[in-house]
Amino acid sequence: MNATILGLRRGWTEQLNLWSDRKELLNALIGTVGTYVVLILFIGGNNVPGTPVSMAAFMTPGFLAFAVFSTGLTGLPMLIAADREEGTLMRARTLPGGIRVYLTGRAVTALLTIALNAALVLLVAVPLGGVAAPPALGRWLTLAWVLALGTLAVVPLGAAIGSLVSGPKAAAAMLGLPAMLLMLVSGVMFPVEMMPGLVRGIAQVFPLYWQGVGLRAVFLPDSVLAAELGHSWPLGRAAAVLGAWAVGGMVLAPWLLRRVRGR
Amino acid sequence: MHDVAVRVRGLRMAYGPVQVLNGVDLDLRRGEVFTLLGPNGAGKTTLVEILEGFRTGWSGEVEVLGENPARAGDAWRARLGVVMQSWRDHPRWRVRDLVAHVAAHYDDPHDVDELLAALGLTEAARNRAGVLSGGQRRRLDVALGIVGRPEVLFLDEPTTGFDPEARREFHLLIERLAGEEGLTVLLTTHDLAEAERLSERIAVLVAGRVVTCGSPAELARAVQVPSLVRWEDGELETADPSGVAWDLHQRYGGPVPGLEIRRPTLEESYLDLIEETRGTRETAVVGGTR
Repeated sequence: MNATILGLRRGWTEQLNLWSDRKELLNALIGTVGTYVVLILFIGGNNVPGTPVSMAAFMTPGFLAFAVFSTGLTGLPMLIAADREEGTLMRARTLPGGIRVYLTGRAVTALLTIALNAALVLLVAVPLGGVAAPPALGRWLTLAWVLALGTLAVVPLGAAIGSLVSGPKAAAAMLGLPAMLLMLVSGVMFPVEMMPGLVRGIAQVFPLYWQGVGLRAVFLPDSVLAAELGHSWPLGRAAAVLGAWAVGGMVLAPWLLRRVRGR
Repeated sequence: MHDVAVRVRGLRMAYGPVQVLNGVDLDLRRGEVFTLLGPNGAGKTTLVEILEGFRTGWSGEVEVLGENPARAGDAWRARLGVVMQSWRDHPRWRVRDLVAHVAAHYDDPHDVDELLAALGLTEAARNRAGVLSGGQRRRLDVALGIVGRPEVLFLDEPTTGFDPEARREFHLLIERLAGEEGLTVLLTTHDLAEAERLSERIAVLVAGRVVTCGSPAELARAVQVPSLVRWEDGELETADPSGVAWDLHQRYGGPVPGLEIRRPTLEESYLDLIEETRGTRETAVVGGTR
């Protein structure tokens, strides 16, 4: 059978198997969405300084961005590292076309997890966060490309990182803290405008910030622009940075994976 | 060349400063069950992993089904079946789903349900791989190894950790597989009795070298240590105990008082061989399992 189709089917089965494990499902649901709900309830009531927009509405696109980012660069590497520890990756190597099928499958599980997280954040956001569906077709299109490009920017890279680390614990230890730090400085919880200059500069290197910008442009009114850097929606630059990460990841990942296989 | 499944000449491999394989020569004929026997740390797993194409950095000549494993592609891989040591992959997958998924990688796989039935896994088909017993899990591994109708099947220490009953069942399974047309099986074990029971030919690997290779009977002769003949007035170590007994009989002109002949078991001979080889190659054994 064609490796891509087999990989798609593999990813679907893998995801069903994961979701049928109650503990795993709960983890998946509580992780990002739980944090989102707690933050909305505690600090969501205030307005973003200098704007009429509530913190809850402000944080919603940020969490959507974070859901994509952390699934690709934390969740995916941890799953791959666990697969490697269990011998699942080794099994794939014993099968003709097995590595391609495996990676396609993992990409599918990452996409499904991102979709589930995004759907849940939005589901909670409408009643709790005061966020409405994008009002115009143009914004829906923006939503589509920002999510797609944001996913492409992290999934290949996450797969490469996952095959480099020695195990799921090492992956969690290595990736957990940087992800949290990036969440703090990338405008997910606080406007980047509030950060010192150096931190702003660092945040703008990573895809999380740009995806957040893109998603805020979709969901928030222009009245929130006072809290954005440059007081505008730099969608062109967002596309450029996310695109650069995506291309970089797609070039780097196969190279890294080949090196790991040669070991 | 068509009757040769695996051909190895002068294979050497080192992990850093530790020499693991010291010039291995090996020939596997198509359709035979061949056992690589040796103590832990002899280099069995390394050798098998080189044949399977999972290790690079070796030197020498290796051909598996006519190709160099380090360079062969998917078409070659589709002709191999691999059962590794203590696998516990895909714990969340249901047995049948996993076998069907692996089957889909091949052009002409076995029928999944027939295979599960043949391996006694029908009852467990809906169970998740992570909850199987040790014996069931191993049978699942074999199912995954043979579902693609391989020409060569690698079984690396398949019965480690089995209780006697599971071991017996597994031996019956291998014997059935060996009956399949043209399937070449390379089995590794450190259990002499298992090697003797299952294989047509045995190679003994000690400290990275094949010290002897042949049928179980040939092996027994090759590794034979002297028998001990003991009687009232003396004792003698000899390769020909019955000849000695005959001589003694002549000398005493009748029954030899207190005659006792102790023949070493094959196991003792094998252990002796390992000791001997190790003693002369102390430097090569340092370094343990890998």
